[in-house]
Amino acid sequence: MTVGPTVAGGLKLVPETEHDWMLLIGIAGDSDSDLAGRLAGLMDEDSMWDEIVVPELAEEFSKQRIQVVKEVMRAKEEDGDIHILKGSVDIWYGALNQARLALEDKYKFGAREEVDPKIFEDPSARAAYFRNNFYSHVQGLLLQYVMVD
Amino acid sequence: MNAVDAPAHEGQTRTKKKSDKPWQVVVLDDPVNLMEYVSRVLTNIFGFSTEKAKELMMAVHQKGRAVVWVGNREKAEMYVNQLHSAQLHATLDRAE
Repeated sequence: MTVGPTVAGGLKLVPETEHDWMLLIGIAGDSDSDLAGRLAGLMDEDSMWDEIVVPELAEEFSKQRIQVVKEVMRAKEEDGDIHILKGSVDIWYGALNQARLALEDKYKFGAREEVDPKIFEDPSARAAYFRNNFYSHVQGLLLQYVMVD
Repeated sequence: MNAVDAPAHEGQTRTKKKSDKPWQVVVLDDPVNLMEYVSRVLTNIFGFSTEKAKELMMAVHQKGRAVVWVGNREKAEMYVNQLHSAQLHATLDRAE
């Protein structure tokens, strides 16, 4: 897959193999639907976070995942590229972040310089680690080229 | 004994003092959110300068947490809501 900035101020993803497409479709699959609930766990009981904020955030996060899958599927059907422009950059960044937060919650990779080499013994953890790095790389490019003021 | 002369109950006094303390919005470190993104979110939500946002982001990264705002509970909750919406780990605490 090729990923790079465009003259229009966006980022273009050019999947070249079926594996590339599956990687992008898998962004939503790597995410979990309880991020809002886990963030609420940081709050005290007086906040009523579960009743008031969690449903709203859960819906917002769900929309990000759904929108990204839709855009990837549409591009796949048209055998085209994926363009992430300013208007949708927050949705993409958020969906990628959800995936990375869920992977971190499941595998406990930690900071890149602190990664335990033992994780590479588990094929699913190893694969998840490389997906996580790819998502992080795309996020870095979004910050550098698209989320600029 | 009239109400003015009545000594304040010790427990009531403590409660009053505790409730007078403002709330602080605390951002917690996590190994996922990119440093540049954290700075950006702090700038967008609180209107910090780039330098101030970077300073707070580094405090989160190095100390594990940083107080980014202090004030009343209602507004503090609004800020935490916005931070959660940006997927940052954040909570409320009583100010020291």
